[in-house]
Amino acid sequence: MMEQTKTLLAPEAVGNAQTKIARLVGGLRQVLLGKEETIDEVVAALLAHGHVLLEGLPGLGKTELVKALSRLLSLDFRRIQFTPDLLPTDITGSHILQERDGRKDFVFHPGPVFTNVLLADEINRASPKTQAALLEAMQERRVTTFGETRVLPNPFFVLATQNPIELEGTYPLPEAQLDRFTFKVEITGVERTVLEEILLTRIHGEPPALAPVIDADELQDLFTVVDAVHLPRAVANYIARLVAATHPKSAEAPEQIRNFVKYGSSPRGAIAIGAAARGLALLRGKPNVGFDEVRRIAAPALAHRLVLDYAAKLEGFDARRLIDALLDAVPEVERGLPQTLGAR
Amino acid sequence: MFLDIWPRWALGSLLAAGVVTIACRLFFPAAAVALNWLWLAPVVAAIPAVFLAMARAYRPEQIAALADSLHGGQGTLLALLEIRDPAWTASPAITGFSQFSMPRLRVWRRLATMAPAAAFLYIALMLPQHMPAGSNGVLANDIAADLQATLDELKKQDLITPSEDKEFEEQIEHIRKDAIERLDASSWEASDSMREKFAAKVTEKQDALKWAADSLSSLAAPGDSDASMTEAQAGELGTAINKLAKSGLLTNAPADLQKLLGGKDAIAGGKTQLPKDARALRKLAASLSGYLANRSEKLTGIAQLGKAAGRFDPSEFPLFSDERGPDGDGDPGSGGVNRGRGDAELTWGKESAMFDRFKSQPLPPGSFRSPDDWAPLAVLPGGPKELPELSVASAAVQYAGVAGQAAWRRTLAPRHYSAVKKYFENSAVEPNK
Repeated sequence: MMEQTKTLLAPEAVGNAQTKIARLVGGLRQVLLGKEETIDEVVAALLAHGHVLLEGLPGLGKTELVKALSRLLSLDFRRIQFTPDLLPTDITGSHILQERDGRKDFVFHPGPVFTNVLLADEINRASPKTQAALLEAMQERRVTTFGETRVLPNPFFVLATQNPIELEGTYPLPEAQLDRFTFKVEITGVERTVLEEILLTRIHGEPPALAPVIDADELQDLFTVVDAVHLPRAVANYIARLVAATHPKSAEAPEQIRNFVKYGSSPRGAIAIGAAARGLALLRGKPNVGFDEVRRIAAPALAHRLVLDYAAKLEGFDARRLIDALLDAVPEVERGLPQTLGAR
Repeated sequence: MFLDIWPRWALGSLLAAGVVTIACRLFFPAAAVALNWLWLAPVVAAIPAVFLAMARAYRPEQIAALADSLHGGQGTLLALLEIRDPAWTASPAITGFSQFSMPRLRVWRRLATMAPAAAFLYIALMLPQHMPAGSNGVLANDIAADLQATLDELKKQDLITPSEDKEFEEQIEHIRKDAIERLDASSWEASDSMREKFAAKVTEKQDALKWAADSLSSLAAPGDSDASMTEAQAGELGTAINKLAKSGLLTNAPADLQKLLGGKDAIAGGKTQLPKDARALRKLAASLSGYLANRSEKLTGIAQLGKAAGRFDPSEFPLFSDERGPDGDGDPGSGGVNRGRGDAELTWGKESAMFDRFKSQPLPPGSFRSPDDWAPLAVLPGGPKELPELSVASAAVQYAGVAGQAAWRRTLAPRHYSAVKKYFENSAVEPNK
C-alpha cells in the first residue's frame, strides 16, 4: 500500500496534470460524441492503471474509443479479435522451434499481449481457457510460458469489449476475470442530437484523425501525480463501508443487497475505487479525493463484482440498481448528524 | 449530543414513572405520598445522559467529515484537516464553506415526544388509590365474625327461626363482601344496623313472651268467674300464643305443651288451638307458665348481647387535622358539612349500647273491648233496624241513593269517561279485587 503524502499536491502540479488530462479527454470526445461520462470513467480507470471492460451493443464506438485512446497516448496498441478457436498461446505467444547457426532451439515469439494497450475485442467469444490466458497478464502484468516469466511493457492496459445481447456461442467471463477489470463501463445508445452531429461530421462514419497528446513520459508523470492525490481517512472509511455493505451478511447491507446478492465485492473492488477516485479527482483538478468522486465511480467499479442471486433476475434487479440502493443506504459519514439537527 | 440522548431517556423515565405510579396505586398505598416526586425522573435521567453525551461527543474530524459531506462531499476540508497545507486554503472549495448553512436545531420536535409520556404519568397520578383487598378482608371478616357470633348465640337460645337465620346469614355475608370491596364508616354502620335488627328481633320476642305471660296471668287471675270474660281472655291468650309460636319461641317447648297447643305443625304454622275443656286449659296454663318463666330468664341474659356495639376506630378515618377544615367549618353556625357542631366533643366508639338507648317501658296489657263492656247513652224507641249484608258495589249504589250520589258520582271531564267507566265496570264484575 502506498504511503500517504504529507503534503497536498501543489496547485501548479494539479493544474498541469489537469491540462494534460483535459487534452486526452478532449481528443476522446472528438471521437466518441455525447459520451462524456463514459470517457471520464475510462480516463479515470486509465490513470489508476486499471483495465476496462466496455459493454454495449454493436456500433456504439467501443472499439473506436480504445483505438483513439492508444493514438492519443502514442502507446503501442494491439487488437485481438476473440473467437471461439482462439488459443492461449495466440495471446501470450509461444516457443517455436527454430534453427540458428546449425542449432535447433525453441525461440519465444511474444504474443499480442506484449503491448501497452491491448484491445480484447468481443472477449466473451473466446473459450474460458483462452480468456484465462489474460489472468496473469492483467493482475501481475507479466506472462509465464514454459516456466519463463516475462514482464509486460509499462504501462499495460487491457480494454475489452463485449456484446450483452448476442450470447449464443459466447462464454461469460468468470468472476476471477471480471474482478480484474477496474471498471465495467456500460455504453448506452446515443441521443438524437448526437446522432445528427455524427451524420453531419462523419460521412463514412470514420472518426477524425487524432494526434498524440501525451507521450509515455508524460503519462508516467501523470501516474505519479495521481498516486499523490490525497485520500482522506473519512473517504477511505466510506469506501470500505460501501464495499463491505455489498456482502449480503453485512450489517450495513441494504435489504436489496441481502435479498439479491450471493457474493459481494472483493477487496480489489475497494482498491479499484480508491485508485480510480484519485484519477477522477485529478481530472476534476482536485488534490484530494472526496465523497463525490467515490459516489461517481461506485457503480462502474462495483457492479460487475457482485454475484447476483437468481431472485434478482426474476425480480428484474440488475447490478446497477443494487449499487444505487447501496449508495442510498450507506451514508457518506459513518456517524451522521444528531437527530436534533436537520439539514436545511 | 445531549439533546439526542436525553429526550429518549426522559421519555423512558416518564413511562417507567407512570408504570411505577400505577403499580403503587394498585398495590402500595403507603407510597402514595411520595409519588409526586416521580416528576423528577427526567431530571434524574439527565445526569447519566450528560455523561453519555460527553463520552459520545463528536471529534473534530467527525465534524469536519459531516460538514464536508453536507457541503457537497468535495473532501477538500478533510484533506486540509489532515494535511495542513496552506497552498489550498484559498481554493474555491474552502472559501465556499463561508456560505455553508448550518443545520437547523430541532429541539422541540425531540422534546415533543416526551409529551405523551408526561401525560401518561399525569393520568397515572390522577388515578384513585386502590386499597388492597387483603387489608380490607381482615377487618371485613372481623365485622362479620362479630355479627356471626351474636347470631350463633341467638340460635343457641332458640330465638331465631330457620327462615330468620337464613336471612341474617345472607345479610352478614353481604356486609362482609361490601366491607372487602370498600371499607369505611358505612361498614360499621351496617354492622350496627345488623345488631339493631338482632336487638329488635329479641325485643319482639320479649314482647311476645311478655304478652303471653300477661295473658296467662290475666287468665289465671282469681275472681274472673264470668264465662264470657274467661272466653275473651282465653282468646287473647290464644292470639298471644300464636304470636309466640310465630316468633319461634315454642319450637323447642316441652312435648306436653306442644301437644296441648295442637302439635308441632300447628306451632310451626302459628295456628295453635287452645284446649276446650277447663282442665286441659289449666294444665296448659301451668305448663306454659313454667316454660315462659324459663324463657324470660334466658332472654334477660340474651339482652346483654346488644351491649357489644360495632367497633369504630376513628383513627382509621382521620378527620381534618386543621381545626378549620377544608369545608370552611370549624365554628358553630359557620356552615359547611361536617360531623357535628364544631365545638361538640365527638365520642366515636363510645356510643350508647343498643339496649340502653331507649329504655323500654312496660305498657298496660292490651285487651279487646268486649261487646258487653258498654254503657247505654240513650234508649231509642223500637228495635234496631237490621240491614242485610250487601256487597261493596251494591252498598255503594244503595248509599248513593240516599247520599245524593255526591261521593261516587263526580263531574268528570268527557275525556275521562271511558277510563272511569272501564275501571268501575271491572270493579263491578270483580268487586273484591
